[in-house]
Amino acid sequence: MIRSSLNSLGAKVVVAASSDENHPPESIIDGDTKTFWMTTGMFPQEFIIRFADPTNITAVTLDSYNVKHLKVEKNISQKASQFEFVTEKELEQTEGHLQSNAIPLNGSSATHLRFIITSGYDHFVSVHRVSIQN
Amino acid sequence: MVKLRARCLLVGDAAVGKSALSHMFHSDGALFQKNYSMTTGVELLLKCVNIPETNDSVELYIIDSAGKDTLVEACEKMWGELSLLCLVFDLTSEQSFANCSHWMERVRAYCQGCHIPGVLVGNKTDLCARREVQASVAQEWAQSQGLEYHETSAKDKENCDAPLLSLAQAFHSLYRERLETTQNLGPG
Ligand SMILES: Nc1nc2c(ncn2[C@@H]2O[C@H](COP(=O)(O)OP(=O)(O)OP(=O)(O)O)[C@@H](O)[C@H]2O)c(=O)[nH]1
Ligand SMILES: [Mg+2]
Repeated sequence: MIRSSLNSLGAKVVVAASSDENHPPESIIDGDTKTFWMTTGMFPQEFIIRFADPTNITAVTLDSYNVKHLKVEKNISQKASQFEFVTEKELEQTEGHLQSNAIPLNGSSATHLRFIITSGYDHFVSVHRVSIQN
Repeated sequence: MVKLRARCLLVGDAAVGKSALSHMFHSDGALFQKNYSMTTGVELLLKCVNIPETNDSVELYIIDSAGKDTLVEACEKMWGELSLLCLVFDLTSEQSFANCSHWMERVRAYCQGCHIPGVLVGNKTDLCARREVQASVAQEWAQSQGLEYHETSAKDKENCDAPLLSLAQAFHSLYRERLETTQNLGPG
């Protein structure tokens, strides 16, 4: 399946809890699983994706490594604040390859999606790609 | 350039010098308190450490936890999620060294299998006449537990930075290793 990257659709990562210059949060939405955002120690860690317009989202797919517990929140405001809870998920640990998890969002409309990583299987976890199905 | 964050737990028997060491480290050697004032909960100290030969740094959240046995359980609830361990004993107290294995068991049970880099610190080298624990013995035990061994004197400001600096470096190395692993992962 060919799916365009989120940034080509005008999406942006507007907040990330921490980051390494060489592995910036933009790597999450460039559509490439070779590039990644790496957390820099301690939890929770979070990032927020902003869409150019309110977007209906059926599901998001998260490619990551060592993420254990994830919460997803959203809003339909222009500001990255006042989020409402959408879903949470415990991810399975993988070794030597990425975790790839589809997370159903039930067609909710959002301008911001907030991903909160509340725990990991290691001190550092990475997020390689977020893609959306709508 | 990256700024890492790590939560470092200081444990060990009461009065071995955990608070003295953490204050010494935190204040860059300005502060030594001669009178013992028992820690009754956990004290949080924040210190940023630059990693030599890089532009990177590690922000250490130092958790100085009470050593008195009746307080430990309550303190454990406040430890939070740990990244690093600094286990301290008093070189003039054989008992405080013997108890290190209990501290290790407690921390291991708490961390549930997650690996955290650690150091063992023998404190109070200034009281050499009263020394009860030989360096070689402590060193050997530390090695068997995967800990790096250091000796310090908070009173004489001897070597006080070394344990936490080496922990910051260990955390930084771990980060580098994980980056390397992550770069070589296959698709999901
Ligand atoms: N001679 C000497 N005394 C020290 C040294 N470090 C600490 N002390 C003294 O030992 C006593 C206990 O030190 P603390 O740092 O309060 O001990 P602690 O491990 O924090 O004890 P708890 O808070 O009860 O767990 C104090 O009187 C300190 O002044 C040292 O290197 N040499
Ligand atoms: Mg104390």
